[in-house]
Amino acid sequence: MTREQMATVLAHALEGYPFEVCGVFVGPANGRRVQRVVRVPNREQESPRVRYEIAPEDLLRIQKDARTNGDEILGFYHSHPDHPARPSETDRRVAAEGLSDGVVHLVVGVEGGARATPAAWVFRDALAGFEPEPLEIDAKEDEPWR
Amino acid sequence: MAVSVQIPAPLRALAGGAAEVRLEASTVRELVDELQARHAGFRERLLDEGGRLKAYVRVFVNQDDVRALEGEATPLRDGDVVAIVPAIAGGCCRCCRVRAASGPPPAAEFIMSA
Repeated sequence: MTREQMATVLAHALEGYPFEVCGVFVGPANGRRVQRVVRVPNREQESPRVRYEIAPEDLLRIQKDARTNGDEILGFYHSHPDHPARPSETDRRVAAEGLSDGVVHLVVGVEGGARATPAAWVFRDALAGFEPEPLEIDAKEDEPWR
Repeated sequence: MAVSVQIPAPLRALAGGAAEVRLEASTVRELVDELQARHAGFRERLLDEGGRLKAYVRVFVNQDDVRALEGEATPLRDGDVVAIVPAIAGGCCRCCRVRAASGPPPAAEFIMSA
């Protein structure tokens, strides 16, 4: 992904603090390069400070838009306000019960609404859970968060 | 009824890599049965032990979530587009953090300060 795309994700996480925010990465089918970052409303109603939910209706819409352009959903991001950029037990449980095998999740830890730190993970399967995934940032652009 | 089924990326390995499958089915349940008959593994990924759609699996017929229709008994018509969509949710509270994964600390290069 590009630096600008990463900056978009981190800015979203900071703006949304103290609530969790979430979004979707879209890119060419069968690829790993992010073409577009789509911010998605956190539909969690009861505990948006410690939970997030991407509504299936939102996902369906994004999926249709992506397919129209020959793209597809490559992965997801969400923030952890005042918690580390690592998948939680809740993240693992939902991924295991759902359809997340091989899906990349970028988790952004947000400290006090002032500092956002991302880390990428891939969900292997219900047995192996999440494993760290290398993040490749296109270095051609400026560094807007410095 | 001839319908097309959009397969999400995590299930494509079961379908030989296909992003879309065309098949005959008159209900969502028949659709799952047909997918299972062609590609073993679909039923256990989509349905629970009681034969109901799993909580974190959503199926849309055209624009409509079958949970708002007749669930697994939702009828299908010729030309319907059925989308299987994962429910994406999670989050982190004090009681559940860092139990699920471990690994190197995030790279400081990517930190953004407000």
